[in-house]
Amino acid sequence: MSDKVKNYLSVAGFAFFGGMARAYLNTNFHFYGTFWGNIIGCFLLAFFTYFFFEFKDFYEWLNVGICTGFVGAFTTFSTFNLEVLKNFDAHLNDIALIYLFSSIIFGFVFAYIGAHMGETLSKIVTGRVK
Amino acid sequence: MNIIIAGLGASLGAILRYFITNYGKKHWEELKKHYLNLPFPTLFINLTGTLILGILFGMKVNPFFYALVGTGVMGGYTTFSTLNTELVALYHSKNYSGLVLYALASYVGGLILVYVGYYLGRLF
Repeated sequence: MSDKVKNYLSVAGFAFFGGMARAYLNTNFHFYGTFWGNIIGCFLLAFFTYFFFEFKDFYEWLNVGICTGFVGAFTTFSTFNLEVLKNFDAHLNDIALIYLFSSIIFGFVFAYIGAHMGETLSKIVTGRVK
Repeated sequence: MNIIIAGLGASLGAILRYFITNYGKKHWEELKKHYLNLPFPTLFINLTGTLILGILFGMKVNPFFYALVGTGVMGGYTTFSTLNTELVALYHSKNYSGLVLYALASYVGGLILVYVGYYLGRLF
């Protein structure tokens, strides 16, 4: 199997589980589910991206599967925007604004923390290997 | 049941996102250099996906189709985590004007397009 095919299959397979996890959260907790999924996903993606940076070529299919496939499908930008619209539409303006701005701020903060932790852990691991 | 349907749709959406990201990395490099190193593939994906989801919601499609194409394909196609990881990368490279422009284009653009899609969908 070529690497390209392997990567696409990996993305599809991991995305199936990421999408199901998000759909589960969304079905049971509505926009709170999307919010927490998005925030946790920001942390995880930044963590994995920075952690795998040094050795991403060794297990490329696993890297794209977890990052692009699972976490990418677990988080969503389109549903986030639609839920802001739904809250405004239901005249829940304060909830819409809190949801909008806390997603923007916490998304960045959690990605920042994830990147920092991933980079630090990567240095520790590669330092030990060397 | 709808959760499994959404998972299947998400696989398709993620493949589409992976394809466009790879395509953009190859062919949109010049564009990127001209505009503050903005990650255009993700911006394109998130904005088009938001427009389409708005249309589907406005059209009031049936729950099965919404779970498959809305929650599934569009949810798996668009991504919130990549957007924020790219914002952090712009911050790390001290590209602050790129950071602000990318955040504004995504969040303001996303809100405008979800409304445009919603009203377009209601016309059908």
